[in-house]
Amino acid sequence: MRIVCPFCGERELGEFTYLGDAKPVRPAADAGEDAVYDYVYLRDNIAGMMSENWYHGGGCRAWLKVTRNTLTHEISAVEPAAGAGAAKVGA
Amino acid sequence: MAGVQTNRLDSGGLIDRSAPLNFRFDGKSFSGFQGDTLASALVANGVKLVGRSFKYHRPRGILTAGSEEPNALVELRTGARREPNTKATTAELYEGLEAASQNRWPSLRHDVMSVNQLFAPIFVAGFYYKTFMWPAKFWEAIYEPAIRRAAGLGRAAGVADPDHYDKAWAHCDVLIAGSGPAGLAAALAAGRSGARVILCEEDFTLGGRLLSDGGMIDGLPAAEWLVRTQAELAAMPDVRIMTRTTLFGVYDGGTYGALERVNDHLPSAPEHQVRQRLWRVVAKRCVVAAGALERPIVFAGNDTPGVMMASAMRTYVGRYAAVPAKRVALFTNNEDGWRTVETTLAAGLQIAAVIDARPDVSPAHRSLASKNGFTVLHGSVSGVDGGKDGVRKIAVSLTGGARAEVEADGLAVSGGWNPAVGLTSYHRGRPKWRDDIAAFVPDGAPPGMVAAGAANGDFGLGACLSQGFAAGAAAAHDTGHGGEAGTAPVADDEAFALTPLWHVAGKGKAFVDYQHDVTASDIELAQREGFESVEHLKRYTTLGMATDQGKTSNVAGLAIMAAVSGRSIPETGTTIYRPPYVPVAIGAFAGHHRDETFHATRLTPSHHWAAEQGAVFVDTGLWKRAQWYPRAGEKDWLESVTREVTAVRGGVGFCDVSTLGKIDVHGPDAGAFLDRVYINTFSNLAVGKARYGLMLREDGIVYDDGTTSRLAEDHYFLTTTTAKAGLVMQHLEFCRQVLFPELDVQLTSVSDQWAQFSIAGPKTRDLLKEIVDPAEDLSNEGFPFMAAREVALRGGIRARLFRISFSGEMAFEISVPARYGEAMARNLMLAGKQFGVTPYGTEALGVMRVEKGHIAGPELSGTTTAADLGLGKMMSTKKDFIGRVMAGREALVAPDRQVVVGIRPTDRARRLRSGAHIIPKGQTPGPGNDQGYVTSVCFSPTSDQWIGLALVEHGRERIGEIVHAHDPIRGEDYDVELCNPVFYDPDGGRQRG
Amino acid sequence: MAEFSWDIRSPLERALVSGAYGAPGDAGVALTEIRNFDLVQVMARRGKAAEMSKAAKGRFDVAAPETPKVARTADATLIWSGPDQFFVLSKGGKHGIGALGQAFAQSASLSDQSHARVLISVSGTKARAMLAKLSSIDLHPDVFAIGAAAATSMDHTSVTLWRSADRDGLAVFSVLVFATFAESLWHTMLDSAAEYGLAINHSEDL
Repeated sequence: MRIVCPFCGERELGEFTYLGDAKPVRPAADAGEDAVYDYVYLRDNIAGMMSENWYHGGGCRAWLKVTRNTLTHEISAVEPAAGAGAAKVGA
Repeated sequence: MAGVQTNRLDSGGLIDRSAPLNFRFDGKSFSGFQGDTLASALVANGVKLVGRSFKYHRPRGILTAGSEEPNALVELRTGARREPNTKATTAELYEGLEAASQNRWPSLRHDVMSVNQLFAPIFVAGFYYKTFMWPAKFWEAIYEPAIRRAAGLGRAAGVADPDHYDKAWAHCDVLIAGSGPAGLAAALAAGRSGARVILCEEDFTLGGRLLSDGGMIDGLPAAEWLVRTQAELAAMPDVRIMTRTTLFGVYDGGTYGALERVNDHLPSAPEHQVRQRLWRVVAKRCVVAAGALERPIVFAGNDTPGVMMASAMRTYVGRYAAVPAKRVALFTNNEDGWRTVETTLAAGLQIAAVIDARPDVSPAHRSLASKNGFTVLHGSVSGVDGGKDGVRKIAVSLTGGARAEVEADGLAVSGGWNPAVGLTSYHRGRPKWRDDIAAFVPDGAPPGMVAAGAANGDFGLGACLSQGFAAGAAAAHDTGHGGEAGTAPVADDEAFALTPLWHVAGKGKAFVDYQHDVTASDIELAQREGFESVEHLKRYTTLGMATDQGKTSNVAGLAIMAAVSGRSIPETGTTIYRPPYVPVAIGAFAGHHRDETFHATRLTPSHHWAAEQGAVFVDTGLWKRAQWYPRAGEKDWLESVTREVTAVRGGVGFCDVSTLGKIDVHGPDAGAFLDRVYINTFSNLAVGKARYGLMLREDGIVYDDGTTSRLAEDHYFLTTTTAKAGLVMQHLEFCRQVLFPELDVQLTSVSDQWAQFSIAGPKTRDLLKEIVDPAEDLSNEGFPFMAAREVALRGGIRARLFRISFSGEMAFEISVPARYGEAMARNLMLAGKQFGVTPYGTEALGVMRVEKGHIAGPELSGTTTAADLGLGKMMSTKKDFIGRVMAGREALVAPDRQVVVGIRPTDRARRLRSGAHIIPKGQTPGPGNDQGYVTSVCFSPTSDQWIGLALVEHGRERIGEIVHAHDPIRGEDYDVELCNPVFYDPDGGRQRG
Repeated sequence: MAEFSWDIRSPLERALVSGAYGAPGDAGVALTEIRNFDLVQVMARRGKAAEMSKAAKGRFDVAAPETPKVARTADATLIWSGPDQFFVLSKGGKHGIGALGQAFAQSASLSDQSHARVLISVSGTKARAMLAKLSSIDLHPDVFAIGAAAATSMDHTSVTLWRSADRDGLAVFSVLVFATFAESLWHTMLDSAAEYGLAINHSEDL
């Protein structure tokens, strides 16, 4: 499998590390135990298109959001994590 | 010198008669020529019997002339290079080659195990499953060893492979598999268009079937066209031709696996060269021009030596000028088989008869027969007379029911051709059935791949050339190369005209899978017993599961199953195709990664100094770390380690701790960031101070620990454990980039920038005063416990000094830029000489941390909480941090959790061992009363006995209780006392003093 | 009072043996370790990438690379090392960590990496063939031109790789590898290049 890193270009799988579903958002500090439980444990395992966290640790160390079909390994989109590089988030 | 090559033609072929090569087969000397394979050289020497079959030990001869060969498998080379199951049909001949036949004893001609043939009725499909079911323990002890002795093909060398292998990457626009007419035409088109091309050919010379079958291309004889084409391709700088290279796998994203047999054609690889090289090819487009494989017809006696594929017969005669038989019969169901007649006649050999299963034969062939005095029989071969010396007589069932006999010493068989659909089907592709050729052809292919020519089911020379050319041009165009490709090479198409015939009923064994000895009746039996699905058929009969992966057998097997189950062949379907297309040596997959270079290693800055001191090194992750420094006269490691601990506790010692992960955390929000990743607070840490920190995973379990210092308002220096250094960096980047992108923080690994040494013991300050600039205040007031700042050293360099302790002693850690690391070790020895300074290794480090009750890897086991480790109070309640909420889950705060306690044996002389289970005293050990286990142990010189740490239920409330340690692995049972985990200086006076 | 000498020692000091190695004849690969350099990692603070670029331009008179490339001045090489970050490679302290702090104080975080990396220059007719055994990236001159850079891995080890100016008409590749991995990668390089013949050397010249 090859992933097109938005910073480095197309690279082989060995440079990347997989983390998992990129959809769940870490709950706010006051969200309560149920919300955190959902976030930590209730993860989808989709046969099909999935948004995933990948780390380009063998390259530029950017975290990436990769849209991948888990059945075919076809990758349809790769974007940097919100805070990759010096990106400014929020105000 | 071996004798004459009895079956070699005087002229013709692509062998070099001026370059004779001597070789030995089963101890007998022969000669062949440069350009021969082992198989063609054996043919040229009249050798027909080359091996014994897997199950029945039947005599077998050479069936094919390519990598699909199921029979002619030999042990090639001797000693450490002996390689079993090597195909004689692809092994290039070299001077001094030694090969031995397999699966026979005491000799190929007189094989004791051939009595298996007499018991053949019991060796049918499923025999092992049915017979060796019980008693279960007999399987490992008796059945399996016996079966392995009797069956199995060839013997492995049994010693380490002395050869080198490597792996490499290649990149191209257009990858082409195969150099037959389609592949060469594709390469011409793509190369002329300006694309970067890689063409892989498994043979040692280009041309594919052109080498055996010839033909006219662009008005030139094939041989001349080949020379011209190779010259044109060689002149293109971005066209890379790779012979002896098999494309064996297709992986995701346009990645392909190829094996280059760099030096398999030599007795051994020249010095500094590799035997084989595994290529990972990244290609934007791939043209599969891998051709087709001729398939056998299943009839009784079809495995008799001398029965050979028709195309192989003409390859041996045409390409190698080697004569498999002098009086040849042909059994065919298609027009292509007849080409063997032409080649055979042209070589001056005799045709005994042609048995054509089709209803009619063309007038041209009839006149060829009458001109050359052989008969054409309409019917099928129903039996073969002949044993280990080969075919003598062939029984024919004529259309209409009559019988005939043909005397011949060779039988060429053509059941049609199967396109090589492997590569196109490796992404779970299912090939589709084409009635006109009665074969499976690719039905789509992995992204970027297309099949052309025979691999696509179009067998004519003209079609191969035009399809290959079009595919090459399209691939170049798709990858942005629009150069002038010119026109496709032109040739006529031959007739194929096939009438399907898979199996001829008859008496005697009719083989489908030669390599695994699967017969037509095995398939019929499988169907009767309900194993109708092709995947079941495959596993029940082992059809297609040998190293040849059923290249010559699968389709015939499916066809027979279809017939007996009353379905069509496409309804019966194919099994899943999986790489590799040919066997690939594990050595090639490993490449450079074996023995000492199995993985990359990391060396500490003082590594070579430690080696000079005679340190014993231990692998910890990728690191080589000094484990202890033995001295002359010390009888074992324990004596050395005990000396090191005693020296530190009584004086001073130092240890290279550069393996800890070190991370610069910069930025205005660095403190806020650390507050979120650690359970305790760092934003309030004063500049110039260090603090111990603990990280959790989001599920509340402890992840890592370490000391973090604040070097400036916006700069923290964070350390991790050695084991988790890389993972913590990844985790922190995840926090920075994904979880908390609003925080202005920057992370840089500085693990390799700093050589860091722990200096410990009551005389640490004395030693430091020698080496640190006298202007620096090292007093307890000027540099208190947990202080951290930069200091000047004597001699002009600067260092970072941290007053932290892992040993429980008065201790500092000192960091200098890594290239001063070795000088630092030498200078510490110099500065500490008068204090008896002692370098110590990881064992002594471990002993002192157990004595001090510090947790490390065995306690940070991925199952423990902060409270389990006695660090629950560190958890801040005033802020959010990773793992905070889940750490409060009921199970994680349950009162009966296993928590860290100290243990010491009641028998002071007893040795402790990690892993022993803790059971209440007086109870019989069992899962019901297992209350924990021993995590870390050491011999404590300070306590003068073995001590340890354990995770024990309610441990902290049970201090003083005697419990039972049960070690079923080592068969040990003994009592231990639960105690305070801090064995040494419990109130911490020494480290603060 | 003891006399302390602070000898600088390259991590390759023992592993590197100058001279020929591997197949005899003309060396297909030249490996040269470049010793004693200053290397500073410059990472933009949040939202300050443009400011960092401006500061770089002011300090070096060239723009900091914003894509995987290197920018050269007379006495420094700026090497892209990831999004909104780059290395400053130089000699003699002029662009060392102490000298750069002021220029980037408002826009970036600096980290000294001078001792954290080993710099190896790879050239020769077989340089690409040898690097193909170590690197998964495409080094064809059309793809990896002079000035191209990559943050990548060799033999599972993170490296920064770039193509320097050609020498004698041949490509020259520079590899920055973590210091503690350097000896291991060095041996892998020797193994990979042995079949082509090697000329081994070290130098103080960037």
